Amino acid sequence: MPHATHPPLPSLQALILCGPGLSLNTFTSNPAQSPKCLLPIANRPMLWYPLISCHRMGITSIHLIIPPDAKEALETALATHPALTSLPGPKPEVLAPEGLEQTSGTAELLRLPEVQGVVTRDFVVLPCDLVSELDGSKVLQQWLTLNPSSTSNSSNSKQSKRGGGMALYYPTHGREGISSESKKVVDETDFLATVPISLPAVPPPAGSLRNNVEEVVLTMPTDTLNDTLEENNGSLPIRQRLLNKHSNVKMRTRHRDAHVYFFPHWVKDFIAHPNNSEKFESLSEDVLGAWAQAGWRPSLASKLGLDEVLGGKRGAEENGGEAVGTHAAFDDTGDGGSMTPARFSELELQEGEEEEEVDVMALSSTKVSVPLHVKQEREGKWFASRVQVPATTETEPQTKTKSASKPVSKPKSHVHIPPLLAYIQPPLPSLPLIRRVDTAPQLASISLYLAKLPATSSAEPGVVYNALALEYKVHPTATIGPQSRVSEGDSLVAENVTIGSRTNIKESVIGANCEIGGMVKLTRCVLMEGVVVGDGVTMTGCIIGKRARIEGMASAPTSVDGGSGKAGDGVGDGAKGKGKGKKRAEDEEERTKLTDCEVAPFFVVEAGTESKGETLKGFDEEGSLDEEDGEDGEGEEGEGLDDGDGEEIDV
Amino acid sequence: MAPSVGGDPAAPTDTAASQSAPDGSSKAAIDGAQTSKTSAIASSGKQENGVANGETKASGAEAKKRAKAEKAAKREREKAERAGAGGTAAGPQASEQGGQSSGALKPTQNQQKGQKDRQGEAKAQAQAQTSSKDAKASHKRTGSVSAANAQRPLALRRRPSQSGGQAKESKQIVKEVGLFGHLYNQPRRYTIEGASKAVHPAVLALGLQMSSYTICGSSARCVAMLLAFKKAIEAYSTPKETSLPRHMSSHYLSPQIDFLKTCRPISVSMGNAIRWLKDQIIHIDPDTDDGEAKAELCAGIDQFIRERITVAGSAIAASASTKIKPGDVILTYAKSALVEQTLLRAHEAGTDFRVIVLDSRPLFEGKNLARALARAGLRVQYMLLSAAPHAAKEATTVLLGAHAMMSNGRLCSRVGTAVVAMLAHARAIPVIVCCESVKFTDRVALDSIVQNEIAPSEELLLPSAAAGVADGGSLAKWKETPGLQLLNIMYDVTPAEYIDMVVTEFGFLPPSSVPVVHRISTERDVRT
Repeated sequence: MPHATHPPLPSLQALILCGPGLSLNTFTSNPAQSPKCLLPIANRPMLWYPLISCHRMGITSIHLIIPPDAKEALETALATHPALTSLPGPKPEVLAPEGLEQTSGTAELLRLPEVQGVVTRDFVVLPCDLVSELDGSKVLQQWLTLNPSSTSNSSNSKQSKRGGGMALYYPTHGREGISSESKKVVDETDFLATVPISLPAVPPPAGSLRNNVEEVVLTMPTDTLNDTLEENNGSLPIRQRLLNKHSNVKMRTRHRDAHVYFFPHWVKDFIAHPNNSEKFESLSEDVLGAWAQAGWRPSLASKLGLDEVLGGKRGAEENGGEAVGTHAAFDDTGDGGSMTPARFSELELQEGEEEEEVDVMALSSTKVSVPLHVKQEREGKWFASRVQVPATTETEPQTKTKSASKPVSKPKSHVHIPPLLAYIQPPLPSLPLIRRVDTAPQLASISLYLAKLPATSSAEPGVVYNALALEYKVHPTATIGPQSRVSEGDSLVAENVTIGSRTNIKESVIGANCEIGGMVKLTRCVLMEGVVVGDGVTMTGCIIGKRARIEGMASAPTSVDGGSGKAGDGVGDGAKGKGKGKKRAEDEEERTKLTDCEVAPFFVVEAGTESKGETLKGFDEEGSLDEEDGEDGEGEEGEGLDDGDGEEIDV
Repeated sequence: MAPSVGGDPAAPTDTAASQSAPDGSSKAAIDGAQTSKTSAIASSGKQENGVANGETKASGAEAKKRAKAEKAAKREREKAERAGAGGTAAGPQASEQGGQSSGALKPTQNQQKGQKDRQGEAKAQAQAQTSSKDAKASHKRTGSVSAANAQRPLALRRRPSQSGGQAKESKQIVKEVGLFGHLYNQPRRYTIEGASKAVHPAVLALGLQMSSYTICGSSARCVAMLLAFKKAIEAYSTPKETSLPRHMSSHYLSPQIDFLKTCRPISVSMGNAIRWLKDQIIHIDPDTDDGEAKAELCAGIDQFIRERITVAGSAIAASASTKIKPGDVILTYAKSALVEQTLLRAHEAGTDFRVIVLDSRPLFEGKNLARALARAGLRVQYMLLSAAPHAAKEATTVLLGAHAMMSNGRLCSRVGTAVVAMLAHARAIPVIVCCESVKFTDRVALDSIVQNEIAPSEELLLPSAAAGVADGGSLAKWKETPGLQLLNIMYDVTPAEYIDMVVTEFGFLPPSSVPVVHRISTERDVRT
């Protein structure tokens, strides 16, 4: 008998959104050639990190969504980059929808017909810049566990119809060296209001994320929050209805949305619903914000078309019906006086095959089966209920007699809005790192953090390594000259790197094929691929784009000349003009010295340049995104601050 | 003298337990663990024996035996050091241990047999209870001492190949309650890590919901399982060169079932449903088109749920509610969906009665019942099981739910049920069990030891203690406290004589009719 040759099971799908990388524009000014998702973080393309997260979750159906102009670069990288080709499982599919611009919003993106066509079941949305040590399957597990629909929904739909969603929030503070306090650039945060979900029957096992899962009731980026605060003279208006429904709302402002969303299939329709196409631009702000609020604002739910989406227009006979599940059954019994589970089950039996609904949760001994609103549908109060449900307030004019109360409470169609849950990571340094890398300082600090992880090749068997650890600290193919020192504890050196003699590298990440001359000092630097560093260069806290060239002392041209013809040009340039002659004469002192700089890809930093806190990039490399204005200003300011010996940083 | 002698033979036990794990393949590791467990039982039994004897009388024969044991232990230790790690050492050790232990205890492969032997020794154990505690303590002490000198290299070798979970397991061996040792077969699964790729996501989700008690209760789990299987069946496609009836059960459904079993042992009703489903699959004509066969199976599942659970439940609720008379005080324990339905129906019929819900830790299922009934407008009293005698004073009828009905008429239900039934029986209060026939089994149960389910002991801790907070209650450090064991069993067995009536969809029955009804209902299933 042939053994199990199962087709891959329909588990989750992953959509990885490969955005333009606005805040990393030094390195992504030409998104068609070097899209953000291919920027290296610790010598691996950024994209590797969300991909490995997917693999750890056991997701094999992965779609990369990228604007068409960058499609080619991405596909080439997927086919050739060693880090990406070594990933297990089926290759991710690249999806480059026609209408997708670099500037499209994330919700617009999901509305595109190509993407809508691809999403056929429950899905996860990940950003391309997510670096997460957290095992995604733990979050997935919580989602599966807390998602009541996955078992109790009706038979015919192939995807869970009424499941909730799950988001992931990480603290932007409380981590040495990575958190924003120490950085000049403040990390972006989101405003988040949550309510606790019901406690589990027994304490969750050790390592479970359950204790930190809460239900989101409000969420917005901090910018929006600040705007709201400004409009309202420093106060945040909160609807009474929220407080009516939830008595215990917790607000956080120092967490950030990781943009990892576990969505049931219906969210696709929700985003594409005609009511929302105008409103929804960004996934995190608009879709999540609206969904979170719809849970306690029934009027909003219908405005957003949630009742239609959730009510399901699937079956023709259901077309008129506006509600689902148990609630549908309650509404359907127009004249029926009182409704109990017993009656209810009979009713569904009468209704026959197409509405086969057994509510497992009602049978479960750890759940309360009689919904709260049954009580006031049935009669006056026997027991005082301390928690006022919105349903109670809606049916205020209700009288004691059943016949009278019934029609009053009926018109409100009860669409149960599935909860939007969130795992909110507490700010403890011991917990796995989750970060979005969308600014240059983040890129540097995360790269350096990863460089500190012990390498997997130095393996003592049995030691559990960090999932993101690299195989080698210093790749065996790297050549290191005599008397050079690379501090292996906190540095990474990739394939085919040549390092000259008497060079000192500390806390740095050196990308593949870099050439580093002699007497170079690198501290807290991130060098992308193919960077050429001349002799005697000193760099601290710099991020160097790929193929950039940092010229060193002209006095030791041997190694530089060996590099390429262009090196000679550079040296010649320095010799000829721009008033560098003087420096060249006293070359011992005037070394290239960069501190806290960002150097754009392919940029040549001339010998003797000394700068601090600048962005060095060429003016002719203008990308499709018009960010240059700001950049110009910055650059010039930087020069102004500099010693002003007439150096120019344009090519 | 005596404790040290009693302690010494314990050293090889430690090595046996520690050596068993680091085998590469998981299966071998499990096998090894089991052998080592038997050996652990054997040696600890012998040890208690030795201690007890040593205290009562130190005959010449005993002294000789002890000397022999000591010698054997020394030899064993040397051998272990030579052989190093690997499950191979566990086997011979186990047999040798059994050989050297006194004739009362034979080496047993069969755990249940070993179990019985231990029961037989219960008297000796009871006698030596205090001394056995001493032995436990010394057991621990010598363990650490030996680790300090002789066991060093072993301990080092063991660590690398063991992940965290395994290490915990070996610690838990000490923390297992001896009488229930055979039930600690596998730790409960809480993660989807390592699940077979063939497991359908709906089944994955269900497994997690079961292990976290999101779905709990025999019928709920049965229905949820069938619904998940329905989804899995819908996603199934028959590989080439085989046919659905020949391939599906063995190659497709069994990984799903195995996964569910690792999350929580399956209930009797689930077992019955699985048996029925497999039977359905086998009887599909191999020439049937895939889609058609799948549709047929799904329709069959729907029908099964409807007939055996939903309609059966309504029928039981309808008939059982007639037993509730105005002015009654109904006593119930924990939460059963059937009992709840019965009570709601009686209330709806206008009967004026009162309900007392008894409950206990750690699941507090009764709270959910009490809340549901209160919402529906019933008069409810909620008490913990410790107040059961008080509640029994007022009660006029006891209504109980079931996990399973055994063929000898005994009821298997949430632990604590037997106490309630016994109290009611003592006061001549009628005890009525509501149970669908899908929960009937042809197995018999004489006690609640042989067949039961052990839930993780951590569930008994307060939430703060479980979370690892330092001062989270007195039990927070139960794992470090020598001689302290926590037992968290799920079910107990109520003797048939305490049960006055079983309400099934076939009507009111005495408990002795269970096998007959079971036969009738399974025959009907097979025929359809």
